[in-house]
Amino acid sequence: MEQSGAAIWARNIVRDYGERRALDGFSLEVPRGGIFGILGPNGSGKSTFIAMLAAMERPGAGELRVLGEAPSRALRARVGTVFQENSADPLMRTAEYLRFAGRLFGIHGGALKARIPALLERFGLAQRAGDPVSTLSGGMRRRLEVARALLHEPEILLLDEPTTGVDPEERQILWDTLGEARGATTVLLATNDLAEADAACDRVAFVQGGRVVASGTPAELKQGLRRDAVRITWPGASAEELAVVAGWAGTGEILRIGDIVHVTADDASALVPRLFELAGRGIRGVSIESSSLEDAYFRYIQRRVGDSK
Amino acid sequence: MSALAAVTTMAERELLNIVRSRSQLYSSVLTPLMFLVFLGNGVSSGLQPANLAAGNFTAYLVAGTVVMTSVFSSTFSSASYFRDRDNGVLRLLLSTPHHPRVILLGKSLASLVIGVVQALVVLVAAAPFVEFEWQYGVVPGFVIAVSAVVLLNLMLTGLAQAFASRIQSMQGFHLLMNLALFPLLFFSGAFFPIDGLPVWLRVMAFANPLTYAVDAMQLAAYAAGGEGFIGLPIDFAVLGTVAVLVYALGLSRIPRLTHSGQ
Repeated sequence: MEQSGAAIWARNIVRDYGERRALDGFSLEVPRGGIFGILGPNGSGKSTFIAMLAAMERPGAGELRVLGEAPSRALRARVGTVFQENSADPLMRTAEYLRFAGRLFGIHGGALKARIPALLERFGLAQRAGDPVSTLSGGMRRRLEVARALLHEPEILLLDEPTTGVDPEERQILWDTLGEARGATTVLLATNDLAEADAACDRVAFVQGGRVVASGTPAELKQGLRRDAVRITWPGASAEELAVVAGWAGTGEILRIGDIVHVTADDASALVPRLFELAGRGIRGVSIESSSLEDAYFRYIQRRVGDSK
Repeated sequence: MSALAAVTTMAERELLNIVRSRSQLYSSVLTPLMFLVFLGNGVSSGLQPANLAAGNFTAYLVAGTVVMTSVFSSTFSSASYFRDRDNGVLRLLLSTPHHPRVILLGKSLASLVIGVVQALVVLVAAAPFVEFEWQYGVVPGFVIAVSAVVLLNLMLTGLAQAFASRIQSMQGFHLLMNLALFPLLFFSGAFFPIDGLPVWLRVMAFANPLTYAVDAMQLAAYAAGGEGFIGLPIDFAVLGTVAVLVYALGLSRIPRLTHSGQ
């Protein structure tokens, strides 16, 4: 794996917390520019990796380079981080918080005075500049966090689940604004929102059990999937019934998460009538979509029915 | 990137937050003042303590009240550590390019400033209403009192920081501070002279750094002479040494995030 030119380069990173192994041979290369998504379930190691990139955690083993250097406090001046939890001081006013954070990241005087109103405007917070942070909505606070992370014009922006708890409209505003930064800044997004990653990311990596299990562009990862994705609300589906479905021609991946059975198929219109013949009233609902990154994710990450098919 | 700029930025933010927390700001000063007025006058009039000059317990109590104000102030100010941790600000502070000690220094400087100011407000508010001797003169006496207050707050800020960095909850922190500081306050000469106490209590008093702060302030403002007091050279030698050591201990305790790898 080459590290030259990569914004982030990680090889065989291991990190333990007591008996628990958070990262287990984590290897990844993130090219400069664009938005790179790290997708994985909770506890898969995404936040640990982000914390390492921000020099807040150290690898127990392995090699890690950020902008060609080992993560350090000094390097934080070139990296912006939005944490999973809010970090804005609720007692401060919106612009005041940005001024405080900017000064801690070494921006002073005219540069700071110019950037704060520009960022507030860009993130739709100009009207709330003088309001206490505690009065901002959840979405506004997340936008403020991203504005804060961009204040010192970082070369890499680390986003750890930035839209958790944010309504769809606010998410759109945030992603539209971040889209403008594409190219100038390398964005690393850790999320478990697959639709968001599918829409926003140029490249993604699937993470499970503290290691990267697949990486590529969303199109590359979706390759090989069947054309249609069928989601069936089927509370009483038995292993035998699912095995029957798996044996039908044109059926791809099958997995069950709770009451929902996900099936990829070449032709959903042929599959669905056979499902009703098989299960009848046992099926409570069916939805059909084109195969998405979510289907690719499930193929790599989630438990499969019988570990096959 | 200047560490000094980061320290002043942190201190400025802490002071701003303290000033905005009006109830905390006022109660830290008003509680000791009420204590002084009601307890001081009550004891002076009701008990007429014969061991005190002119039986004036209110004048005697001023030094102890100033120390008590510093104890309250340092406890409240250092509680901002828990607020920062709980609302996520600490994570931001520890992600800046600065060493965590720079951040701690800024926070503790603000705590020191606010503690000194509040303690001096109590002293200045009480002084016109009690009979102080000012045996070294008003200005030198005031300078001595201010010096003692600064050293006392330096020590208390360091102690509060040392506790705050290792205790999980704000409730636990307040409990520990009260547990540690109230006995020290009682056996410091803040509320009653120590020279008439049983030997074992006097030993505890002399092992208590607050005793030397009270003694220095009593000598500066209340006392007519040195008899029955420890003396300024020993007061400042002990207080200065302990203050520097405890403050250094507080700064050495780097705050931790409870990152579990999730």
